[in-house]
Amino acid sequence: MMRRRELLQTTAVAWFAEQALGDDRRITGELKGASHAVGHLLRTAIERPPSNPPERAEVVVIGSGASGLSCAWRLASVGVPTRILELESFVGGTSTWGEDGVTPHPWGAHYLPVPEPGAKGALRLLSELGVLTGWDAAGRPRFRDEMLCHAPEERLFYRGQWFDGLVPRSALSASERHEVDRFLSIVESFSERRGRDGKPAFTLPGALSSTDPELLALDRLSMDRWLREQGFSTPLLRWLVEYATLDDFGASLEQCSAWAGLLYFAARAFESDQLGGSRYLVWPEGNGYLMRGLRDLARPEIQNAALAYALRETRDGVEIDYVDVATETTRRITARAAVLAVPGFIARRLVPKAPPRLERTTSSWLVANLHLRRRPDATQAWDSILYGARGLGYVDADHQRLRDGERTVWTYFRAHGGADTPGIRHGLLQKKWAAHASSVVADLAPAHPELSGELERIDLMVWGHAMPRPTPGFLGDTPWSHPPMLSRRIAWAHVDLTGFALFEEANAHGLRAAEAICDALGVERGETWLGA
Amino acid sequence: MLPRRYVPPVLLASVVVIATSGLVYELLAGTIASYVLGDSVAQFSIVIGLYLFAMGVGSYLSKYIEQRLLERFVEVELAVALVGGVSAPLLFAVYTSWGAFRAALYITVSVIGMLVGLEIPLLIRLLKFRLELKDLVARVLALDYVGALVASLMFPLILVPKLGIHRTSLAFGLLNAAVALAATFLMPVEHRSRIRMRIQCVAVMAGLIFGAIFIDKGVVRAESAYFGAPIIYNAQSPYQRVVITQSPRTTRLYLNGNLQFSSDDEARYHEVLVHPAVAVLGRKPRRVLVLGGGDGLAVRELLKYDGIERILLVDLDAKVTEVFRNVPVATQLNRGSLNDPRVEVRNEDAFTWIQQSDEPAFDLAVVDFPDPSNYALGKLYSLTFFRYLRERVGVHGAVVVQSTSPYYARKAFWTVATTMEAADFHLLPMHCYVPSFGEWGFLVAGPESRVKQAPRELLLGPDKLRFLEPSLLPEMVQFPRDMSRVEAPVQRLNDQPLVSIYTREWDSWK
Repeated sequence: MMRRRELLQTTAVAWFAEQALGDDRRITGELKGASHAVGHLLRTAIERPPSNPPERAEVVVIGSGASGLSCAWRLASVGVPTRILELESFVGGTSTWGEDGVTPHPWGAHYLPVPEPGAKGALRLLSELGVLTGWDAAGRPRFRDEMLCHAPEERLFYRGQWFDGLVPRSALSASERHEVDRFLSIVESFSERRGRDGKPAFTLPGALSSTDPELLALDRLSMDRWLREQGFSTPLLRWLVEYATLDDFGASLEQCSAWAGLLYFAARAFESDQLGGSRYLVWPEGNGYLMRGLRDLARPEIQNAALAYALRETRDGVEIDYVDVATETTRRITARAAVLAVPGFIARRLVPKAPPRLERTTSSWLVANLHLRRRPDATQAWDSILYGARGLGYVDADHQRLRDGERTVWTYFRAHGGADTPGIRHGLLQKKWAAHASSVVADLAPAHPELSGELERIDLMVWGHAMPRPTPGFLGDTPWSHPPMLSRRIAWAHVDLTGFALFEEANAHGLRAAEAICDALGVERGETWLGA
Repeated sequence: MLPRRYVPPVLLASVVVIATSGLVYELLAGTIASYVLGDSVAQFSIVIGLYLFAMGVGSYLSKYIEQRLLERFVEVELAVALVGGVSAPLLFAVYTSWGAFRAALYITVSVIGMLVGLEIPLLIRLLKFRLELKDLVARVLALDYVGALVASLMFPLILVPKLGIHRTSLAFGLLNAAVALAATFLMPVEHRSRIRMRIQCVAVMAGLIFGAIFIDKGVVRAESAYFGAPIIYNAQSPYQRVVITQSPRTTRLYLNGNLQFSSDDEARYHEVLVHPAVAVLGRKPRRVLVLGGGDGLAVRELLKYDGIERILLVDLDAKVTEVFRNVPVATQLNRGSLNDPRVEVRNEDAFTWIQQSDEPAFDLAVVDFPDPSNYALGKLYSLTFFRYLRERVGVHGAVVVQSTSPYYARKAFWTVATTMEAADFHLLPMHCYVPSFGEWGFLVAGPESRVKQAPRELLLGPDKLRFLEPSLLPEMVQFPRDMSRVEAPVQRLNDQPLVSIYTREWDSWK
């Protein structure tokens, strides 16, 4: 618990920071946002049929996020060209990135833990991008040192000072320390455990995890309930676990399935000398690095600001109708096949018979990029987390630099993990730039009271539908059983199929859809790129 | 009261003292300003200008003093003693503790200037009934200028070298107070405030004497403990504070307050850095890469080999290389090595450079970075860095890496060694005693296993060396029990154990 005085101090500092920013006209920025306004056109069915003669394409992929680009990459590998229709003006979905300012910076997903052995697609991609440099004699992958997060990886601001790592061990009481150790040892045993089917209890992609009913039973509990049942009660331990469930899944403890919560901690298998330090692969532009890599490998024809609104399967292909948002004209593409690389709530509007069972709660995120003239303090970790703050802290986009430099961009994240997702989303979309920006500065104020003096600009992004949330029961009765094909010629590739948004999942779904399309079209695709 | 005939000599003597001390305070302020702010021409020019102007203001204000001239004179003199006497320690204290240095400097200079400006008109008026105007003006002004000459000669020749800045300041404060005290003897015996003024004078003198004793233990130590000798160059670069000090014996370079070399024994360090590595290389190098080492001292050693065609020096800080190209005391030390036409200096980050360079391989690479005391520097001792380094020297090439003290930071030294081995270097660890640093370590390395053979000969004649000789080599490659190899981790970018090992080991000696 924060002590009373600290709470007062924090509040006071935050209030002053908010006032200061309110008056400080020098700090500017813009509020970007996934195009919810345009997207919501989908709610009102578009009646006008396309007038122009139809365009032709081999395979149309709707959505240029990690799934869509992965799908295009796999199709390109067998010589099938893709055309991507993307609603936004950018590429990469929630893994997109910015290139303005002193360093490229993420706008969403910003790291990839060294993939599990089963994440064959992700490992293949890293190998093609030169991130994975080879395999040692014991069959363990080696990575480019420059891309593993440089030390120090993370630090925590706790009771007025910074600590290395996420656990402020030296500042904890005996009971807190005991709980942390007990939690870690439980997690450790889960990471070594195998189900009765011989599969690892938790691994990524999730579909390779054991379906031992005893393990799946965890999905019926919330993480909150599981922690209680295990007798964990210190606010510190609960904060630590909730930091994880918010960070990966955008879910509070109550909103997160215990199965998913434990997956976060227990899914890691590769051990090697090199991974004695950080096992996070990070890049200045975050997972934008992977998106750019996929795009460059796949070379799809990407059309931005294109809102697909109807798909119809014909005798020998698919008709896709879309709005070219810039000209406000409707057009039609006839293709041999189509892939919906979009969340379920959109997929269902495009193809009414898309699987209704996978209704996902979607979490909202606020992401801010703070362009700094100077880092406010000398210690520089990649990830800085503030105990008890509203957000998840920030990452330093320039952390992996190997030169000296003071200017940088901090990417601040705030996941909204509460139950009332429509209400939260509405509230976020209503707020203006100034309100968001001052709340970000205020949230960092306890650790950086003089931050606004160093700020050049704060740009913001509200992700209304950032990610599916693995709520209790999200696995359903028959997990991992949804086929990629919605019909003969239309596939669905999205993390909604899994229920949580991690790159390995998106990548696997993209590859799976691509391979299913190949099979449907009779294209020779060779060995599968997916794990067993 | 002294006999009246003593009045003119005493007052005229005080003119000399006033003029001397006035100029001394001015020179002190200018000197401190150029130490602290750099750019001595500008600092002296501003201080002198401001001081003369303030004197003018003081002279003008003297017309408002109408009564009790002698008493006022004593008071002004005492004020000069106090403000001038503490000016140097005060300015240093402001610089180190509060930071509003410029404001303090200009206020101090103005106050002293104004007080000194008040004095001469007062003295002239005190003497006007005793001397004719032409004599009065002639003597006062002549003595004033004599005082200036005395000050300007004494200041650089005696005062700063012998007394140091702080005690010069305090000593002249004392002198001013003594003049004030002497002047009280010119007052009539019945003068009411005579005793009070003497007490004030003695109090000020006692304060200044106390200060002179205290300053030795306090401020002077703070400054000298840091630099130990007068600062002759001071500049702030974007990366660090560059300070060169010079005492009669030695010239020293400090970066951010850390000693980089002392001219006394830098030959030991730089000869051991360069020549054994050349001996291991087994041939006179033609193309050499120097990373760090912006002082040009390693380059100086390298240029002793005929046959050098190109030396590329990559040092982050343009300020450092600029100093060692242009400042005379620096170029005396490195013998103008950085201005040699065969030497190219690039001011870039070494890691970025080594990643991007497409230069043909070098025969030898001399790596002379600061110790790995933080994560930014730690990257320059990482496995990744050494892998790049290996690519920059040919298969038959050699490298040498300064790698902290194997005695004071034993595990840190062997961590660098372990890391270089992990980058497929064969090693010849060496050590040598450098009085300024203690026992110091160097890792000579190369892609070939033959580098592990300790060399027996140097490729340079004894006439070109100050310290090293072949007979020392066998001992330098022997690591006694208290420095011998310990198990150590590999320094990777994603872990950097070296930084905490290094800090812990050095901190344990504090």
